[in-house]
Amino acid sequence: MKFAYYPGCSARSTCAELNVATHRVATKLGLELVQLESATCTGARELRAIDPAAFYALNVRILALAEREGLPLMTICNTCTLNVLDAHAAFVSDRELAERVNARLADEGLHYSGRTKINHFLWVLHEDIGERRLRRLVTNPLTGLSVAAFYGCHITRPPGRYGFVDSRNNTALETIAQILGCLPIEYSGRTECCGFHTAAADERVAIKLTGQHILAAKAGGAQTMVTPCPLCHTVLDGFQREIEDDLEQKLDMPVLHLPQLVGLALGLTPEELNIDRHMIPAEMVSAYAAGSS
Amino acid sequence: MAAPAPTLSPATRLGQAERADTLALRNARLSPGEIIVVRIRRSDGTESAGRLQEFAVPYQKWMRVLDALNWIAENAATDLAYRWFCGSKMCGTCAVRMNGREVLACWEAVEPEMTIEPLRNLPVVRDLVVDRSRYETKVAGFEPWLRRADTYPGFPEPLSHKQMKNASKALDCISCMCCYSACPVIGLGDLTDFAGPAPLVQLGQTALDPRNDQQKVAGALAQTGIFNCVSCYKCEEVCPAGIPIVSQIIEPLKAKTAVLVPAMARHALALRAIVATRGRVDPGALVLRVQGLGALARLRRILRLLVRGKISPLRTFFAFKTAAAAPARRILGRVPP
Repeated sequence: MKFAYYPGCSARSTCAELNVATHRVATKLGLELVQLESATCTGARELRAIDPAAFYALNVRILALAEREGLPLMTICNTCTLNVLDAHAAFVSDRELAERVNARLADEGLHYSGRTKINHFLWVLHEDIGERRLRRLVTNPLTGLSVAAFYGCHITRPPGRYGFVDSRNNTALETIAQILGCLPIEYSGRTECCGFHTAAADERVAIKLTGQHILAAKAGGAQTMVTPCPLCHTVLDGFQREIEDDLEQKLDMPVLHLPQLVGLALGLTPEELNIDRHMIPAEMVSAYAAGSS
Repeated sequence: MAAPAPTLSPATRLGQAERADTLALRNARLSPGEIIVVRIRRSDGTESAGRLQEFAVPYQKWMRVLDALNWIAENAATDLAYRWFCGSKMCGTCAVRMNGREVLACWEAVEPEMTIEPLRNLPVVRDLVVDRSRYETKVAGFEPWLRRADTYPGFPEPLSHKQMKNASKALDCISCMCCYSACPVIGLGDLTDFAGPAPLVQLGQTALDPRNDQQKVAGALAQTGIFNCVSCYKCEEVCPAGIPIVSQIIEPLKAKTAVLVPAMARHALALRAIVATRGRVDPGALVLRVQGLGALARLRRILRLLVRGKISPLRTFFAFKTAAAAPARRILGRVPP
C-alpha cells in the first residue's frame, strides 16, 4: 500500500518524534510513504478564518500534489486532516471556486480534479490495514495497559463530517487500543478540546481545559493517554508541567502518539519510536515493550 | 483500579449506532406503559449543584423529554420548574441537558434512563430554569441592528444570495443557548473575554450583512474576544437549528475582525506572515511573533523544550528556506517581515 504522506508542521518540529514513529510503524505495516517535498502548511485554524482564498489554494495544492503522484493522501494531524477535507468538500461542490483555485495552481503546472482520497493514519489502520490483519501483526500485545483515548476535536467534529453527528459515537481509537491488547478506559475527556488553537496567544485556556481531561483520565485509571493529533499532544504532554502547577498536584501522565502505541505492540522498541523524546517520561509504558522484563 | 472497558462496536459499524438512533427507533424500543427512569437535578438556585430527584414515568407512544417533564409536573412534582412555550422547535426556551448533552426537550425522544439537568454556564434560577440575562446583556451591547452605510436604494435591494450566505445561516438561530452551554471556553468563566457562540451568532445576523456600517460592526467586534474561540465545534454539534456556527459565523466574523480590528488578530496575522515566508509554521517563530520578548520570560519551559529537542533556535532564526517556501509565497504574496 502506497500513500502520499503529509506530516504537517507540528510533526516536522515540536513533535518530530511522531514523524519518526510513523515511518517506523509504516514499514512494519507494509505502508510505503511518498514525501510531498514542497507541501506547505494547511493554514491551521488561522488562515482558514482570515484568508479563505489562500486557505483553499494551499490545501487544494496539497491534494493536487498527491493526485499527480496518483496516490491517496495520509495525514497524521487532526487539524490538517479537517483542513484538507473541508477544502476538498468546497472544491467539489463549488465549480467557480474550483476554477479559481486551479487557475492559481496552473503557474506551477498543477491541476486538481477532485480525486484524492484523504486518510488519517487512524483510518488507514481501520480501512486499509483492517482489524484482522492488524491483529495478526501484533507480536507484543500490550496486555493490561490501561489507555485513555484522547481524540481531539478535528477528527470527530464538525458533526456529520465523519459519519456521525454525536462525537461520542466515535470509538475508532478504543477499537485499535483493544486490538493492541490494551484496556481502553471510559472517561469524560475522550472527545473534548485541548485548547491548542488559542495557546500561541494565551496558554491559560489550554492549561485549564486539558487539566480537567488529564485529571479525568487519571481518575478513570489510565496509565497512559494516546492521541492521533500532534497538536493535542503538545498540550497534553508539553504543557503538563504548567498544568500541574495550575492544579497544584502531580499528574505524571505519559501521552503517546497513536503510531507509538501501535509500534510498541508491533514489537518496535521505545527508542525506535522516540518515546524518550516526550516531556513527561513514559518509562512505565516502555516497560510493556518487547524484551522488557 | 482500572475502570471496566467500555462496550465497543466493531469499527466497520462506526456511526451505525447513531444512524439507528432515530425518534421512531427509540420509540420502538419502548412500549406504552413501560416505566422510564427520569432523574432531574433540582435546586432553588442557591445550592451550587442541587440534588438529583428520581421519578418513574410511564412511557407513552412518541414520548418526548418535554412530555416526560409535563407528566412529572402534573403527577409527581407540581413544583418542578422548567420552561417551554411552543413545543415545536421554534421558541428556543426548553433546552436542557439530557444524559450530558444539550437538547431541546420538545424535540428529543425520551430514553429508558435519563438524567435531566439545567444548561451550564448560566446561573440557575430554579430546577431546570436558567437566568439568560448574561446572554441578553451581551447581545444588547452589540447593538445588533442594521445601520446602513449607504442610503437606501429602494426596493428591491440589490442583494445576492452569495452576499447573504453567512448572515442568513445566523438568522436560523432560535436562541436556545444549547451552544452557550456546550462551549468549553465559556465554561471557564471570566478567564477570557470571549462572548461565546450564541451572542456571536446573534451578532452575525447583522455584522455579516454587507449593508451594515463597518464602523459600527468594528465597535461590536471589539467586544467579542472572538479569537479566544478554540474551534472545537462543540457548539455546532449541539445546535438544534443545524447552524454551522464555527465555519459560517465565527470564521467570517474573525475575517472581518482581522480587517477592522487587526490588533485582536495578532496570532492569525502572525501565522499568515510566517507561512508566507517559510511555507510552514515554526512554533518558536510563531510564539515569539505573537507574544514578543515576553515569551522569553518562560525560561523554565524553554529550557525543558530545548533539552528534549522540541524547539530549535537555529531553525527558528536561520532556517527560512524549505521546499514549501516558494509555493507558499506565490499563493500568499509577499508579506513584510
